[in-house]
Amino acid sequence: MGHSSVIGMDEIVAEFIRRTILKIPVAEIGKILRIWNFIPESQLKTINLKQCKENVSQDVVELCKKKRASMKEAAILDIIYHQTCQIKKIWTVYKMTKAPGEEVDLSDMEEFKDSFKKVLQRALKNVHISFRDSEDTAVWIRIAWGTPYMKPNQYKTTYMVYHSQTPFVFISHCRIKKYIPELWQALMTAGNYHKIQQMELRSLYLDSLKAIVFKQYNQDFQTYCLTSLEEENSEVEIVDPRIIHENMKEKERIQRVTRETFGDYVQPRIEFAQYKLETKFKTDPKNGILAEREEPFRCLVKFSSPHLLEALKSLAPAGIADAPLSSLLTCIPHKAMNYFTIREK
Amino acid sequence: MASSQKHGVLYQLERLEAHDQRSARPQDGHQGPQDSETDLEAKILKLRKLRDELRTKVKLHEAGARIPIANLEPYEPLKNSEENLKMKLEKAKAFFQAFHLTGLSGKLTTKGVCICFNTAFEGNILDSYYVDLIIKKPLQIHRHSVPVFIPLEQIAAKYLETNFQHFVYSLSEHLNGYSGRKYQADQLQCGFSAFLARPLQRNSLCTLLSFTYTMDPSGESFPFCARLVYQDLTTTLPTDVTITYQGTGATPASWENQRAVHETLFYKNALHKVFESFLRVRENFDCVSSVP
Repeated sequence: MGHSSVIGMDEIVAEFIRRTILKIPVAEIGKILRIWNFIPESQLKTINLKQCKENVSQDVVELCKKKRASMKEAAILDIIYHQTCQIKKIWTVYKMTKAPGEEVDLSDMEEFKDSFKKVLQRALKNVHISFRDSEDTAVWIRIAWGTPYMKPNQYKTTYMVYHSQTPFVFISHCRIKKYIPELWQALMTAGNYHKIQQMELRSLYLDSLKAIVFKQYNQDFQTYCLTSLEEENSEVEIVDPRIIHENMKEKERIQRVTRETFGDYVQPRIEFAQYKLETKFKTDPKNGILAEREEPFRCLVKFSSPHLLEALKSLAPAGIADAPLSSLLTCIPHKAMNYFTIREK
Repeated sequence: MASSQKHGVLYQLERLEAHDQRSARPQDGHQGPQDSETDLEAKILKLRKLRDELRTKVKLHEAGARIPIANLEPYEPLKNSEENLKMKLEKAKAFFQAFHLTGLSGKLTTKGVCICFNTAFEGNILDSYYVDLIIKKPLQIHRHSVPVFIPLEQIAAKYLETNFQHFVYSLSEHLNGYSGRKYQADQLQCGFSAFLARPLQRNSLCTLLSFTYTMDPSGESFPFCARLVYQDLTTTLPTDVTITYQGTGATPASWENQRAVHETLFYKNALHKVFESFLRVRENFDCVSSVP
């Protein structure tokens, strides 16, 4: 961990804070600094946010120097930046399992953090671990990796988000992959779990991953809910009763099937789904050279979209695909997967 | 179930009303012109009453009230079958809302049944959770919206095959317990944040709540550091309450007394109710101290 020097703030810390502020969009800088709560409000007001970012960050660094910020506080600033701004990092979901027969435990978050830190620091030298609780009973863990000979590199960090009493962990890795076993060990010991496994679910949007895995998106359940009994009025622009919609029945059927599959509300946001096919090529046995090929035909199909599930939902109503859609596409949120391997049955 | 209620109070009222109407009908023949006046008066009254009833009905319907407007005019032949259907629809909607209020309802689906758990705490309606079951051997859960920290798999493993009623009951208890604890924690966090020295800490199931509070708004009195543990996932009251003092130095005897009292309060009452009582104490204290 960087030590603040006797005279003033460590230059490494200063540079780190400067670079972090430069990454934050100007509109969010004030908000993030207030959440950080390290620089008093009276001093924050003296920062002119309208000047160029270089100067803004320099001002912030000066104020931090006055208060002798250490790497510990700077790390918290980094976490807040990640929590507030949409960072372009892929999050992967991991699922932990308990040993059979173990009940849900009390899960004191403070004990979890202590235990995690102890185990990881015992296994590895020069790791810098920071925690910050978020509002939804989750803890954000930031880990900066070092080596036995080098201080932790604050620019190569791994972020983990863990909700108490749940078996899921969301991890955004940096490129250092060799300490993964130690990370798993610390997680499992602290959380009292027995095994950890990567799920086939990855996305840029952490909130969507949480919604899928915690089933917080609005799934369409068939109930006698009052809202579902109210008939929605179809748009009636046409005044002349002699004019009717062609294929009205088919349109209504598509709407009904789409609603049954996807529900009425907005889907969680993911940006791709990938299908690895290892199936035999299906064709007329008499034609084509591929017809009698015994080995499976390997192929990768990837669907990308700024908002994949909403795009899939609109395919049938737009007339591009038949309703109902293939269950391989519609099962994504239910199965909590967007990476599939399809083999011959 | 509901129909027997219909034959209860409302049915009695109908019979009384019918009786009243029969006796209000004027006697035929013998009376003179004065009585025809009273006849007309009676008729006016009856028509006015009918008009008022119809007005109320329209108003209620417009206000979107989903109360069954059953048996308002039981002997009025309904003029038009569409109106009849509309009333039936209103009644059906009201029934479903009544089911919703019981906390447990279900609907048959193509492959099985979808059970809806509506949770509540102290009369406040809270979140709903759904479990979609496929009826086949063995009984399977197809989809659900139960939060991941509720031990659904364990409850299903124990009861789903052997005792379905117990499965539903146990799950309902867990969900209501969770909803109730979450409600109390949310109430404390939002409604009584003035008492809290630092934000409330909780875990996902709300079975461990930890907070520090003071009785004195200026923060001069010794703070209480409370830790509430709910060992039983189905309860909304804590099984263990510990209040400590986190600072250095000795605490005065008055603080110790208050601590013992508070501990008992937390064991026996919902969290926000305890803080409501603190608020009342504080207000009384302010009243008393402001009196010269």
